[in-house]
Amino acid sequence: MKNIVIGQYAPGKGFFYRLDPRTKIITVVFLMVAVFLLESILQVSIALFVTLFLMIIGKISIGRVAKGLRPLFVLLLFTFSFQIFLNREGALLLSQPMNIGLYSLLGVLVLTVLWRLLARFKKFKGLLFLFWLAGVYALFAYLPAIGPIFKVFDFEIYESGVVTSIFVVVRLLIVISLSTVLTLTTKPTDLTQGLESLLRPLKRLGVNSDDFALIISISLRYIPTILDEANKIMLAQASRGADFNEGKLVEKVKQIVSLLIPMFIIAFKRSEDLADAMESRNFVPGKPRTRIHELSFGMTDLVTAIFTVLVFAGAIVLRVLP
Amino acid sequence: MVMQLSFLEIRNLSFSYNQKRMVLKHIDLSVEKGEWIAILGHNGSGKSTLAKTIVGLLRPAEGSITVDGTLLSDETAYDIRRKVGIVFQNPDNQFVGVTVKDDIAFGMENLSVPRAEMIEKIAFFAEKVGMAEYLEKEPSALSGGQKQRIAIAGILAMKTDMIIFDEATSMLDPTSRRELMDYIRELHDEGLTVLMITHDIEEALMADRLVVLKDGAVFADDTAEHLFKRPEAFREAYLELPAALKIYYELEAAGDMTPPLATTLWRFGSGK
Repeated sequence: MKNIVIGQYAPGKGFFYRLDPRTKIITVVFLMVAVFLLESILQVSIALFVTLFLMIIGKISIGRVAKGLRPLFVLLLFTFSFQIFLNREGALLLSQPMNIGLYSLLGVLVLTVLWRLLARFKKFKGLLFLFWLAGVYALFAYLPAIGPIFKVFDFEIYESGVVTSIFVVVRLLIVISLSTVLTLTTKPTDLTQGLESLLRPLKRLGVNSDDFALIISISLRYIPTILDEANKIMLAQASRGADFNEGKLVEKVKQIVSLLIPMFIIAFKRSEDLADAMESRNFVPGKPRTRIHELSFGMTDLVTAIFTVLVFAGAIVLRVLP
Repeated sequence: MVMQLSFLEIRNLSFSYNQKRMVLKHIDLSVEKGEWIAILGHNGSGKSTLAKTIVGLLRPAEGSITVDGTLLSDETAYDIRRKVGIVFQNPDNQFVGVTVKDDIAFGMENLSVPRAEMIEKIAFFAEKVGMAEYLEKEPSALSGGQKQRIAIAGILAMKTDMIIFDEATSMLDPTSRRELMDYIRELHDEGLTVLMITHDIEEALMADRLVVLKDGAVFADDTAEHLFKRPEAFREAYLELPAALKIYYELEAAGDMTPPLATTLWRFGSGK
């Protein structure tokens, strides 16, 4: 538990690391909006190349960003299939009659079992999944219609379905990559400080961004401590016969309660101690404080800001022009 | 005639959490500048409560606390905390910053110390507690003793004159404990006033004066040398004597004690 990393921050030396977190946050937000203003597949493809180019000059490993995208693979796949199957405009590209019958379903079952058995070869996870998809398609499409047949239908793909699905997926890819670049190159503390500084105008509305930033940074600081504690309690409970991995759902819930209650009690005790420690060091909520971290807006920030403004203006022009 | 006040003056202090049971009962205590006082007491004797009352974390039911001529009240608590800092028992629960540097800075940030001065002081005080090469480290990478040293650095950076150690060594391993005590001794030699709250007599022996609390009241207030002449005082306050002294008193009771041996044993027990 000692080396737990909060957020995705990866130390490095590229261009993005030198930027003020405020510049990065605003830039990312504006670029995201700009991407959503784009309308054609050509435009988003160019945007994708620009993003990749920026990552290369910023010396960010594209592999790291891709790793960050992995948890969103399901979302991307879902978006893609949703668009490709449900959009029925433009020229018909493919029409394939499909039979769902007893034997093809059995085939799918065998295929799925095979797929899951091979799943421990994690390296080929993506490839295996593609094979499985192709196998299912082949079974429904080409298996002779023997045995009981439950449903016959036409599998159709239209031109605009392909276009929109690619468009939507590329757009999502850009947006997610942009935010990944932000979190990869900015320490969580800098990120909260940037946010705090950006939210400062909200003070007029009674929102104290100062305290907000302190709350976030203290939460970040205590996550490893509390996880460490959770680990200890789990071991303590396991030594008394609790089993957090097996059993029915009801039993599992019961075990989780045996973890949560001590954790809550300890967390309250901790926060009481922390409040005392902070107060004894003269912390007064809402009172102005100086900062050891300082944000500074430099030349690189100016260049980035100009670039962002240009890209954003470009996106608006493209949108408005017929 | 102007009465000369000590650095810390506690007069007739009482405190209760729930009106029914008094946790502190009519405590009188004065600490001179540069003194090292140990407050000894059994569990529940009110030691920690006393520490929290001194810096205004708890409001006394009765009595007064004066620090360097300033009477403690809600208005002056801020000023008093600039003069008196506390190092608490649990090293983890008082580490506010995300990194060592942030944590040392926390108190100074609250005092609105300019940034350039903060950076200078962080370097100086981190060096002082031997943590200079750890400035960018996160608390999870530090040992308990290191965290306590950071807490000391953070308090010293606020220009405090006195530090209360509220069982600050009780969660540390023996080596870190000895190291921390050595640091405290060094700081004391440089003029820091130390109030050490503990239930470890060996630790208390390093103090100039021992104050024994029993059930929320001052039971004894004397030098170690005098106190150890009446071992029954410790027993009555539910405290355990150091092993060497126990042997000494048993031998004495048996009647075959030669004076040089007694001195040797006393030296061994007190570490002096």
